[in-house]
Amino acid sequence: MYTTNHKDVGLLYFFTSCYFGIVGAVLALLMRVQLSVPNNNFLNAFYYNQAVTMHGLIMIFWFLSPIAIGLANYFVPLQIGAKDLAFPRLNALSYWLYLAGGVLAVSSFFVPGGSASAGWTTYQPLAVLTAGSGPTLTYLGLVLLAVSITLGSVNFLTTIIWLRGPGVTLSKVPMFTWFFLFTIIAMLYAFPTIIAAFVLASTDRILGTVFFTTQAIQPSILWDNLFWFFGHPEVYIVLLPAFGIIANVIPQFTGRPLAARNAILVATALVVIPLSFGVWMHHMFLTGIPVALQGAFSIATIAISIPFDVITLAFVESLIRGRVKFATPMLFSLGGVVLFIIGGITGVFLSSPVLDRVFRGSYFVVSHFHYVMVGAAIFGIIAGIYYWLPRMTGHMYNEKLGQLHFVISFIGFNILYFPMNLLYDMPRRIFTYQNVGNWAMLNGIASIGAFIFAGAQILLAWNVLHTWFRGPQAPPNPWGSPDLEWTSHAEGMSPAANTSSPAPAGGWIGQLSSAPAAAAASAEATPYAAGEHAHLSSRPLQLSVGIMLFLAGAATWPGITALGLLVVGGLVVIYAFWEWAKDDMHGRFTMPDEAEGERWPFGGVPKLKLGMWVFLSSEVVLFGSFLGALIFIRAASPNWPPAGSIHDIPLGTVNTLVLVTSGLTMFLAIQAIRQGDQRRLLGWLGTTFALGSVFMGIKVSEWITLGTNHFVLTNPTYSLAASAYYIIVGLHGAHVTAGLIFMIYLMKKTSSGFYTKENHEAIENFGLYWAFVDIVWCFVFPLFYLL
Amino acid sequence: MRTLVGVGVWVYMVVAVLTEVLLYYQHLAYPVLVSVVSILATSQGVAIVLFYMQMKDEPASVKLFAIIPLMFLSALLVAELASLG
Ligand code: HEM
Ligand SMILES: [Cu+2]
Repeated sequence: MYTTNHKDVGLLYFFTSCYFGIVGAVLALLMRVQLSVPNNNFLNAFYYNQAVTMHGLIMIFWFLSPIAIGLANYFVPLQIGAKDLAFPRLNALSYWLYLAGGVLAVSSFFVPGGSASAGWTTYQPLAVLTAGSGPTLTYLGLVLLAVSITLGSVNFLTTIIWLRGPGVTLSKVPMFTWFFLFTIIAMLYAFPTIIAAFVLASTDRILGTVFFTTQAIQPSILWDNLFWFFGHPEVYIVLLPAFGIIANVIPQFTGRPLAARNAILVATALVVIPLSFGVWMHHMFLTGIPVALQGAFSIATIAISIPFDVITLAFVESLIRGRVKFATPMLFSLGGVVLFIIGGITGVFLSSPVLDRVFRGSYFVVSHFHYVMVGAAIFGIIAGIYYWLPRMTGHMYNEKLGQLHFVISFIGFNILYFPMNLLYDMPRRIFTYQNVGNWAMLNGIASIGAFIFAGAQILLAWNVLHTWFRGPQAPPNPWGSPDLEWTSHAEGMSPAANTSSPAPAGGWIGQLSSAPAAAAASAEATPYAAGEHAHLSSRPLQLSVGIMLFLAGAATWPGITALGLLVVGGLVVIYAFWEWAKDDMHGRFTMPDEAEGERWPFGGVPKLKLGMWVFLSSEVVLFGSFLGALIFIRAASPNWPPAGSIHDIPLGTVNTLVLVTSGLTMFLAIQAIRQGDQRRLLGWLGTTFALGSVFMGIKVSEWITLGTNHFVLTNPTYSLAASAYYIIVGLHGAHVTAGLIFMIYLMKKTSSGFYTKENHEAIENFGLYWAFVDIVWCFVFPLFYLL
Repeated sequence: MRTLVGVGVWVYMVVAVLTEVLLYYQHLAYPVLVSVVSILATSQGVAIVLFYMQMKDEPASVKLFAIIPLMFLSALLVAELASLG
């Protein structure tokens, strides 16, 4: 429960996501029962809409990504020879926030009015007008999940670039880790927009802001942009870990290194990741956006399928050239590639604005994305499960059963989804249909396929559990893999048995190291037994529970239960933070020292600082999405209150100068401790704290004046402007307040003489944070006060 | 020396903020005001990143972490505004 060890957290992720996968699957089966015959009334529209919505959300957010994160938790550190992730407690926090978000989302089924029901895309204003606290619970759960993923991305990114063991140069990093690296880069920049989108939607529901209910502008376009800016990268986020597994698996079963490894990496890094953020509007072809824009996004969409051609061709070439051994991981990899090809072809059809007019909103689309998301992604993940099961359990799975599982899954899958291509004239998201054409027959077939496919997964579950508890002993490196997670393991088990050959060297990025991969076999040899208790922390769990209760209270507001939840949740959060800080003060949580390994190209940057930069990098997108939303609203609304009519410009100017000055004093604080001067550090920190407090004080007084001047949400003249102002300025204020609280901690530590010339990373990193908050205000101020 | 740079940045920040406010009171044409203020705000951000956050001393690989999100963001902003037609 309190573990922070990456393998334990990985297994927690793994089993939790399997649980959510089962929930999602049950919802899907219910839908297929309903659709199996025309005019059915097994589920009425009320339940069907919830099922379809929550199925999508749960599968995408609580199953597919997390199960990949689970495998990555377990294997990325092993593959790169790291002892653990860069920030183990943060990792545990990510897990617990993920679970807390999931609990919120699933609990929404049990409140009056039911769960979210407007589709996983949560199109506005339909979604925000759905009554009840169920959708709110789901949205807040999503926000937690997105926060969890953002923190996790920071953690993994820092780990992969900073904690590689000696000799693990970039050219020796295995494919799974590479692809997971790409995944987290996409996560790092995609998830902030979904946080922004769902925060805005939630405040609409809880606080009465009007971002998506306003009649003054067309808010649906705003939602579509925010959602799909996230949504398209998300489909790659789901896909890429599976591709990484497939690329990792293929060489072991073809007996030769992966073809065109470097071409694959370059294509993904330079084309897929950047372009994935540039194609989202193909989901908006029918929203009335200008034709030129449609053209641009259509071309970009076709362009992004080109690197996938490269990757697929490389896979196929590996298969042709090698001698293929059809073990279960290989079968699932092959299946994944085949299904991806089918899904990719249907996707290219959809990228044409003209054809999309026909297919849009039909079962053709459903078929398309299930071929890629279930076909390619889940088959790839299953390949990974079989592939790594011997490493996780020390036992060998039952090969015959695995092959049977593959055959039934593959057949079931196609019976399920292929008919949907022929249903291109049947609209999706309807709960029942008339008996026209061959709809009845095709739907019936699909439903049968659904049960075959789902039933096949029982074989997987049985095989995994049986292997775990009863399986025969597995050899230390059953696939003869050159990757570190196996070779170091083999070494640990029988030191003489290490005959691994070095990983296929690429050297594509100009850094070749002569050290053989095996030299890095450090991680496994020294398990975490020594000082194990130092790696337990109950704080991540406590914090997540607190946040969960608090948000549950917010979602069900108003009411006495809600109030209770808010109070209790708030107290738990404060307690957890307090204790966390105390743990740190007393050095109760220590991390193992990391051997100095490969860090190129980030050699000179300290670990925490790197983490901070990565985090801020993601924050840029978070604030940017909010400010972007503001600019959009501002540009779209015909009668925005003119500058100067609402806000007190002189006061705002003074306050801005106060904050700017605190930027200087923080800078001076850093300079002081760099010279080892603790007294001056304390002085400047104190000044910064005072200025920050003044800034917040003026803020509060401004808000009070605004309130008395009827600049409030409920005033129809100002509702949109007030929504934007209070949420964005409030978010900034929350960041300032968090900074102030942290400064108290820093000052306390300073006065106990903790920071020295050599050791003051926390001060430097806080300086980064504070400067960032300063920058944000440089944009917020003119946007609200002057323009 | 570094202290001097820090104070210099602060002076620039103050001047920039005051310029923005003074320009507002000049009742310039709205597009002109918007462009000038955007440039000033951006220059403030750049100054803080380079000097207070000392990005100028970091390796190029760290600079990427500032540049990449800005690229994505500008795509989002441009498209959001363009989709207004
Ligand atoms: C070959 C590359 C791909 C192309 C050209 C492509 C194209 C498209 C297009 C144009 C749409 C919009 C269809 C519509 O709503 O009318 C779409 C929808 C979708 N695609 Fe893809 N796609 C590709 C790959 C993928 C991958 C790899 C995934 C996931 C792993 C994916 C998941 C989805 C999803 C989930 C939707 C439906 C969203 C909704 O609920 O409306 N696509 N795709
Ligand atoms: Cu897309």
